Amino acid sequence: MSVEVFSNDFWVIFAPELVLVVGLLSIFIVPNLGNTKFRIPLTKKEIPWFLGGRRFKSTGSPAIPGMLATVTLFTAIGMMLIDIIDGGLKGTTVTSGDIQILQIDAFSRFFEILFLATVLLASMASLDRIPAHTFDGKKTLEEMYDNRRQADFYILLLTTAIGMCIVALSRDLFVLFVGLELASLATYVLVGFHKESLAGAESGVKYFIVGSVASGVGLYGLSLLYLEFGTLQLELLSRDWSEGSILGTIALGLVLVGFGFKVSAAPFHFAAPDAYAGANSAVAGVLATASKAMGMIGLIRILLVIALPDAQPGGMEDDVSAMWIYALATLSIVTMTWGNIAALGSTNPKRMLAYSSVAHAGYMMAALTAVGAWRWGEIDAPADYGEAIVAAVLFHMFVLVAFKLGAFLVLGLLEIEGGASRLSSLSGLARRDPLIGTAMFIFMLALAGVPPLAGFVSKFLVVAGIVSTSVGDLSANGGISFSDFHWVWWLALAMFINSAISVFYYLRIGVVMFLDVPEEGRRKALPYGPSIRMSIWICLVATVLLGLSGDTLINMCYRAAESLNLGQY
Amino acid sequence: MLVGGLLLVVAALMAFFPSLGDEGDVDWISIPLVGFPIIVSCILLAFASQESRARKEILAAPIRLFTLAASLIPLAISTALFFDWLILVEWDTLSYNQYALEKEYIWIETIGVSWHVGMDGLSFPMVWLTTFLIPVTIITTWDEKDGATYHPLIMMMGGALIGVFVSLDLFLFYVFWELTLIPMFFLILRWGGKDRRYAAQKFFIYTFCASVIMLLGLITLYFLMPESSSSEGYGSVTKRTFDMTAIFSYAAEQNKGDGVFLGKNLQYILFAMLMIGFLVKLPAVPFHTWLPDAHVQAPTGGSMLLAGVMLKMGAYGMLRLPIAIFPDAMIFYQDVIMAIGLISLVWGAIVCLGQTNLKRMVAYSSVSHMGVILLGIASMQPLGYAAALFMMFAHGIISPMLFAVCGAFKHHYHSMEIGAMRGMAKWSPYLAVYMMFSWMASLGLPLLAGFVAELMLMIAYWPVYGWWILLPGAVLAITAAYYLWSMQRTIFEGGDEGQPPESLHGETPPDITLSENIGMIILAIFTVLFGVFPFIALGMMDDWTVAFFNGVFTRGGI
Repeated sequence: MSVEVFSNDFWVIFAPELVLVVGLLSIFIVPNLGNTKFRIPLTKKEIPWFLGGRRFKSTGSPAIPGMLATVTLFTAIGMMLIDIIDGGLKGTTVTSGDIQILQIDAFSRFFEILFLATVLLASMASLDRIPAHTFDGKKTLEEMYDNRRQADFYILLLTTAIGMCIVALSRDLFVLFVGLELASLATYVLVGFHKESLAGAESGVKYFIVGSVASGVGLYGLSLLYLEFGTLQLELLSRDWSEGSILGTIALGLVLVGFGFKVSAAPFHFAAPDAYAGANSAVAGVLATASKAMGMIGLIRILLVIALPDAQPGGMEDDVSAMWIYALATLSIVTMTWGNIAALGSTNPKRMLAYSSVAHAGYMMAALTAVGAWRWGEIDAPADYGEAIVAAVLFHMFVLVAFKLGAFLVLGLLEIEGGASRLSSLSGLARRDPLIGTAMFIFMLALAGVPPLAGFVSKFLVVAGIVSTSVGDLSANGGISFSDFHWVWWLALAMFINSAISVFYYLRIGVVMFLDVPEEGRRKALPYGPSIRMSIWICLVATVLLGLSGDTLINMCYRAAESLNLGQY
Repeated sequence: MLVGGLLLVVAALMAFFPSLGDEGDVDWISIPLVGFPIIVSCILLAFASQESRARKEILAAPIRLFTLAASLIPLAISTALFFDWLILVEWDTLSYNQYALEKEYIWIETIGVSWHVGMDGLSFPMVWLTTFLIPVTIITTWDEKDGATYHPLIMMMGGALIGVFVSLDLFLFYVFWELTLIPMFFLILRWGGKDRRYAAQKFFIYTFCASVIMLLGLITLYFLMPESSSSEGYGSVTKRTFDMTAIFSYAAEQNKGDGVFLGKNLQYILFAMLMIGFLVKLPAVPFHTWLPDAHVQAPTGGSMLLAGVMLKMGAYGMLRLPIAIFPDAMIFYQDVIMAIGLISLVWGAIVCLGQTNLKRMVAYSSVSHMGVILLGIASMQPLGYAAALFMMFAHGIISPMLFAVCGAFKHHYHSMEIGAMRGMAKWSPYLAVYMMFSWMASLGLPLLAGFVAELMLMIAYWPVYGWWILLPGAVLAITAAYYLWSMQRTIFEGGDEGQPPESLHGETPPDITLSENIGMIILAIFTVLFGVFPFIALGMMDDWTVAFFNGVFTRGGI
């Protein structure tokens, strides 16, 4: 089905996104409601105008923006889920004339839900993390700052969510880029939100500069693509890809840089640890999960939908545009190894989590390489293998939200009582609060990939996907040897060796929490923070449940991967 | 108490719930043997960890009692299964790749994972051993500090170990394989000695590294299996299955006649990948260094389960997976495995001679005994395999007793040094007797369980490797040397009054407590029982071995 943009049907199918926009506007308006009156000129008649003046007590509360954002995101997710249950995933394309702009299908809905769920959890957690204070009584300067910025923070969060949704929906690389920038610009500000602190200011500036350079390079790549093919439509690009010249491959490399920064792939990852360390934990969690997934959408769209190598008669080596497989394989190994080794040496838990998310980016890139190598040589790999790997990557990204964001939120809980930038700030956590300590340990185990948690299942699926492409249907031929395997098999080995290295630093957190004595000034119970605890519980339950019974989600991921129509053009 | 009583009622109901169903269909494994210990201990841990320190002290006694009572339920069930009290199980007529009490439920449909459990002559002795060791460990370490969380962790560990032995699905097997690490990690970390941080991390990382390589081998094997979309238990997306029984029967079929499943080249590589995981767990030299560290730092109960059952996971895994699936690779690697076994045996024994730490010495003697198991496997004789199986079982009863003695020594004399205490027979006759008994059992005194296994091994070893037999023979002499030497220094020397350890600062050395006494007596009784009547367990193992050789090494003469 296709719908003209801004027609009546358009508003109906985009109701969830519309809710986000309305919620965003309401955060602008509601806190500013006051008792102003507007005098009609030349008369003495005053009519109430409500914007500005003395704010109403009920709507002027600094807690209102956070509530509004949470409710908005919750409503939007609910609407999407109801839409899916009703079977609204037939695939609706929004067009303007001949140009496809957006598309709603299983793939985009999957990512929208991922993004909104992440931002929802982050905004729920921020209700306690950046606490709002009532206006009576004397306030410290910091509390006053916090109060004034409540609206800004949630406006930026919602903007990020909207930008990400556009990325997920886009059918045109230009639209994708607009959404990417909308989300990126909002996250630049969010990272540097605590501009008074040195770390906050530094991280914001660093993230912005590196990010904008990466965006610029990516945009240049897009313009080269346009030069080569005369269009940025996904469908047209993927149809014409095999006729493109070397310019297309160069453009592809430049675009990779832009998205590589978003997924924090080495060597574009340098800003990530600084950004995460300086940002509020909830924001860092969004960066490590949703923002990374946004970059992955870009990679999937560019590499797998547009530039998927096709089996050539002489094997894949003859296909110039398949060169990216080798580049991506190298990058993925460098990324995962670099991330893990750097994480071994970092004593700041947030930097450690940042490096671990670099390593996870490497794992996902290895899986994308395997999809690229899917129809290697003359061997006829079964048609659905590519989908199965993409499904594994999607599953990995979804469950990553549960345990990576959860880990960041535990750090956020510690930040309420002042800072979580040293390993020792976690010490004795299991004694101070056994449940939170256990939750953190479970998140760490899930990150390391210990069964039966969600992290294990996702890593398992990714490796299984890689192995499946490297083996193909060799077994049917009989008389095979190891040298018949495709080289992507070694990526699986690299991934497992890396996850064995990573156990060391994940365990260290557990050891510190269970063994060490709490540091000075942290002997009391943890701050209460009901909503941040609520978010942590949700993450914990998801981590355990998706590990024990992930079948529904795997099926959903598989359907999302199917709707990409890999290699169909 | 009220909560504890309620829990006990719920637990008993849970355990016996299956018996309410139809008799033939009762699932005697999933909930009663595996799920029950794990779930109950999780509930207890969640409940106990919320309490304050003072409340925990009060709660320790009821929780301890409750855990003991709960751990008797799996023991009762496994014992009843052995004696056919609950259901008639024909252990001796099971042919290769046939399992008793088999149950299968689909778990992750997309990739063909199912909760598939069952037992045969290989796994049942280990399952019984685990169910037996949980209550014995709890009794022996009755006075361990912070008992409100310690004893549930022991039971959880037991549940996970049983899960490893009963699972007939590669995915499930791996899940339990890794799950055993977590309670053990906490046991070492929380109740361990001075260097526990190092030991716990080393233990976890070593075994985890090895098992991810094993997992990669398993996944590769999975994708080399033929596709099938219609059969039960096959993945809806990947069209393959993790079901071990399907893999075994397919591999056996391919290996018939002159056929080689997957070709020799792949067999060698996959066999090696799987073996790395199992050799580290066993542990065999040169992958053994985690074991002495873990043992020395681990609390008594942790050591007992670690030496008693966890090491055998490695040997069990070897027999269950790589050897059964890749018999040609086994023939290829036979000499390598023999060499590793001999090196472990000799090296472990020689290092034992140089130890001054009692527990470290016992740990290295475990390495040595695991070498015996490897030799049995390398002999490629039915008798050698039965010897390996019986060694697993006998060592599973003797080594917990060794570590119980070490634990009691440490607990009462605050030292682990061999020369620290002399003339123990004067001060604590009971401990002296148990020490002498278990030391003798471990060095292979006739009429005790260890002797049977060693004798069988020697008989099986001779026709294959001939005069190489002198080497293990000499090692038995070394074993006797270090055991007798440490015994003599600890029990007898020091004149009439003995020489109490300095770490007691002049206090009178106490004798062991009643609970330690009970625990060790039980272990001693079973050591004698299986030494005098080995056929109780050996019959089942023999049958399994014969069936295994008929099913796997189909080409006959090796």
